[in-house]
Amino acid sequence: MQVNNMKVKVFSLILVLLLLLSVMPAMAQEGDPIVVGGTLSLTGFLSPTATLHHVAGQAFVANLNENGGLLGRPVEWIVLDDESSADNAAALYERLITEDEVDLLMGPYGTGNITAAMNVAARYGMVFPHHTASLTYVYDYEYHFPAWHIGLNTHITTNNILYDALESTGTPPGTIAIVTNQFPGAMNLAFGNDVLEPGGAAHMAEERGWEVVLEVEFPSGTTDYGPIAAQVRDADPDFLWVGSLGADGVNLIEAMEALDYHPRGQFYLWPTPGPLLDLGEVAEGAFSVTLFEEHEPFLSNIGAIDMVELYHAAAEEAGLPPSSQIVDVQVAASWSAWQTLVAGVEGAGSLDQDEIGQWLLENGVDTVIGHLAFDPEQNNFSEDLTRIKQIQDGKWVVVWPAEFAAPDAVPIYSADAE
Amino acid sequence: MQLFIQSLLSGILIGGLYGIIAVGMTLNWGIMRVINLAHFSLTFLAAYITYQFSTVTGADPFLSLFITLPLFFVIGLVMQWFFETFQIEGFVSLLVTFGLFAIFESIMREIWTADLRTLPLDIVPYRVESFWIGPYALRKPQVGVFVAAIIVSAATWVFLNRTYIGKALRAISQDRVVAGAFGVNHRQLALLLGGMMGVYAAIAGAFIAVLFVLRPDGTVDFIGVIFAVVMLGGLGNTVGAFGAGVIIGVAQSLTSATIGPGFSPLVTFSLLILVLLFKPEGLFGRSATS
Amino acid sequence: MKWRALLGFIIVGLVLAYFPELRDMLGYPRYVLTFMYFAFFWTSLATSWNILTGYSGYFSFGHGAFYGVGVYTTAAIVTKTELPFLLTLPLAGVLASLLGLTVGFVVFRLPQLRGELFALLTLAVEFVVAAILFNLVDGGYGLSIGRVPYPDFLGDFSEMMFRLGLLIALLTVFAAYLVHHSRLGRGLFAIHDDEAVAEGLGVPTFRYKMMALGLSTFFAGLAGGLHAVQLSYVDIGGVFKLTVPLFVILMSLLGGRRHWLGPLIGAVIIHTFNDAFSDTRFQLLNDVATGGLLIAIILFMPEGIYERLRQRLIPAATLALLVVVIQALAIGGRITVQFAVMLLFVIALLMIPQRFYDTVIGRFVPSFESVKAKIRSGAEE
Repeated sequence: MQVNNMKVKVFSLILVLLLLLSVMPAMAQEGDPIVVGGTLSLTGFLSPTATLHHVAGQAFVANLNENGGLLGRPVEWIVLDDESSADNAAALYERLITEDEVDLLMGPYGTGNITAAMNVAARYGMVFPHHTASLTYVYDYEYHFPAWHIGLNTHITTNNILYDALESTGTPPGTIAIVTNQFPGAMNLAFGNDVLEPGGAAHMAEERGWEVVLEVEFPSGTTDYGPIAAQVRDADPDFLWVGSLGADGVNLIEAMEALDYHPRGQFYLWPTPGPLLDLGEVAEGAFSVTLFEEHEPFLSNIGAIDMVELYHAAAEEAGLPPSSQIVDVQVAASWSAWQTLVAGVEGAGSLDQDEIGQWLLENGVDTVIGHLAFDPEQNNFSEDLTRIKQIQDGKWVVVWPAEFAAPDAVPIYSADAE
Repeated sequence: MQLFIQSLLSGILIGGLYGIIAVGMTLNWGIMRVINLAHFSLTFLAAYITYQFSTVTGADPFLSLFITLPLFFVIGLVMQWFFETFQIEGFVSLLVTFGLFAIFESIMREIWTADLRTLPLDIVPYRVESFWIGPYALRKPQVGVFVAAIIVSAATWVFLNRTYIGKALRAISQDRVVAGAFGVNHRQLALLLGGMMGVYAAIAGAFIAVLFVLRPDGTVDFIGVIFAVVMLGGLGNTVGAFGAGVIIGVAQSLTSATIGPGFSPLVTFSLLILVLLFKPEGLFGRSATS
Repeated sequence: MKWRALLGFIIVGLVLAYFPELRDMLGYPRYVLTFMYFAFFWTSLATSWNILTGYSGYFSFGHGAFYGVGVYTTAAIVTKTELPFLLTLPLAGVLASLLGLTVGFVVFRLPQLRGELFALLTLAVEFVVAAILFNLVDGGYGLSIGRVPYPDFLGDFSEMMFRLGLLIALLTVFAAYLVHHSRLGRGLFAIHDDEAVAEGLGVPTFRYKMMALGLSTFFAGLAGGLHAVQLSYVDIGGVFKLTVPLFVILMSLLGGRRHWLGPLIGAVIIHTFNDAFSDTRFQLLNDVATGGLLIAIILFMPEGIYERLRQRLIPAATLALLVVVIQALAIGGRITVQFAVMLLFVIALLMIPQRFYDTVIGRFVPSFESVKAKIRSGAEE
């Protein structure tokens, strides 16, 4: 009896909810904007970083609309949640193109999602700018435009830029340990691929005569970094190269610290920048890659000042933790993908996909991370724009190549440190 | 050899973490017949609250237990009341608690965003500190969770086997109707057990906040392993859950140090299959029905 | 009986197979085909899981293992050889089935491995399979399939996926139907109720369980093989995530486990809501609604939707038609959302508690008994 009363109450509640839900689609209709469609992994294991792209994209679109929109029309961005899964991403792009009939596409976050979604975009001949794809050698679609502009041979060039930075100190390492997340893009940078010429962190180190003393691969979702840390301590390399994503780096550093082991030099591939800074003294001197940091000469790039200002406000508004309110490589890549899309449409003066695509291929585009040239011979990549940054005095600063370094900043590393 | 022993130790300790999460699960499943996916959500919710408490006040995260213990006792109790009222148990409970799981996750994401959250080292300097036995390091928070797991699982075992209420609870798990006939008030006891589950979630959550970088769906890293621990330990067997946690922790850790972390699920779960084939009653038997 | 059913399945299949041809006439967007492909995919997975678990009661947590073997079979062959992908599909099914039978051959001989232990074992199998494929085939790089060549008569990509998905779903559901209505099915239900008694009555339990597991895993592998092409890029983390084994369980429980149509109903509902609730502007509301709906449905229909639907088929169909017409004429909007709204209304109707439902319906359509009682009491006055 009691249960039944309860059920009637719950039932009326559900009815109200139902009515709300059936009205929802009607609420979503609005004027005549240019509609950009895309997915982001707002739930699931990719969501920590995808959230930054969401905030950045919203800030970009809001700013675009305040300044007159695109081709004189307002811009609306439909973001769907692909739940960090490639099959959802592919299906939702199909939906955006054929059911929502969006005018333009913006890529999703994460290598797997981008790779799957790009195949859909290719089927419909849609221009496909994207911000964070790392399997450069897979992307043969003519109208994909990578903002993560690391060059086709990133497994060679990116490692060379890092190793040049180490050699510039005059005390380069003699031994190196490679520890990497078994994530496709990270594996490519650590060990290269079987499509292009040999490369990868291990191979490139050996070419310089450095000895690789340890190779460890670990899967995503690892909860205990103790055994990995113990192996690094035992190998005691001059330099530790970590193909890390998200929080991997923090976890490994803490596990090494607990063993009272402090690497003489260490590199973390794609860390979420905030948590590493939160470690304070322990992470001091760690290297990473970037395409943009909040200092000159990057601030002179087109739109950079606006981006920094707008993103700070938007990130605070969205309730992100303070260390995620600064612009780093993720946000800048996102911004640069949006700049690519906007430049393409304005350059072509229409929403015709072929015209936009051809215009971008011919002209390239200036963005917050510099000039992006799209060379079809190199899968629409060109020069590797990777810069090396380092935590110095508790802040990320670019230290290499020298012409992009923050004022007075140089790589600090010595294989002979205690 | 030093690597081997160091990894063995670290595996034993991490097993404590698995154990302490599994104790709540195994009670829920073994005694109340509720496969409670939402237990993972409660654990992470407690971790987030601990994080919030510490970053706002700057106080030690374990002080937050003064808030989370009573709070989660109530949450656990309310949840159990819900299960009782609607008579949710067995595999149907998997569906209902998955619904709760989804709701909890979205609430956590709404409040703390999907971005990573971690307690700054200056609040919890001991996160990276160790006790030393000769050349071997025992990470302080891991030792903490290990000790807590021993206390929780042992205390629960004593409670279930040596007190009147505990015996009544076990009677319920065996036959609800007969237990009722002997005057066991099933409903009150169920609510008490629900509250206990909440308390365990709060304790585990505090350690997770100290040990890990938090994200709202961090629960998924644990679901598979904890299910294995619960079933390996024997449903309803809290000491078994602890023991199984240690076994799986050690198996993972040793594989990780010797063959490679990528192989640790392979070895761990192959081991589990072998155990099932040759000792299918579970390593420790079912305390609830023994 | 069986021939009539076969004819029924063939007719349903032919009608649906013709559906892509009607796109210009009906004017629906191409996405509807993809949407329906996913419904077919989940139907195949959930139904195949149910052939073992729903009928025999052996609760598998590891269905993702067999699906995953299917995915990786097709993905690995397509990327590493020139073999046309259509040929890989049966192979995907067979390999998954072989794995299933190997597991079954060992496990079903041990009478203690029932209930939770069987669930644990299958879960462990999934982890082990994932780890083996990860270290031997995938290596962490994932497999990029890209665009595969296929024969022209299947249409463009979404039409091809639609047709193949339909075929696999039909085969799976038909197999579930056949099993349900055969001696095998009755034997499995007997095992479900009490295995020892079934054994005593002469049911060849070991053979029946092996047959059910073999069929169940074959269709999971088949569906997985096709899904590899939809994924176009496969990696271990994506393929072996826990949502696959969890979702097939949820779908079957939701729809009803004791009937061959149950998993199909559950699959269509969960897939539809998942799709309708993916707009991020209402993120929190979406998640709470999805979770809340799951809870509500199971609270009101613990035996699954199928049972209630059977009892209230005519009012439900009428309401569905009404909602569809009203939306098509008056409200409009995305067609898949219209479908979701229609489902919501039907579910709401089905959720009305029995007693409440009786009094409401009873007011409009008084039952024979109540009319008789009224006349009698009137006469007494």
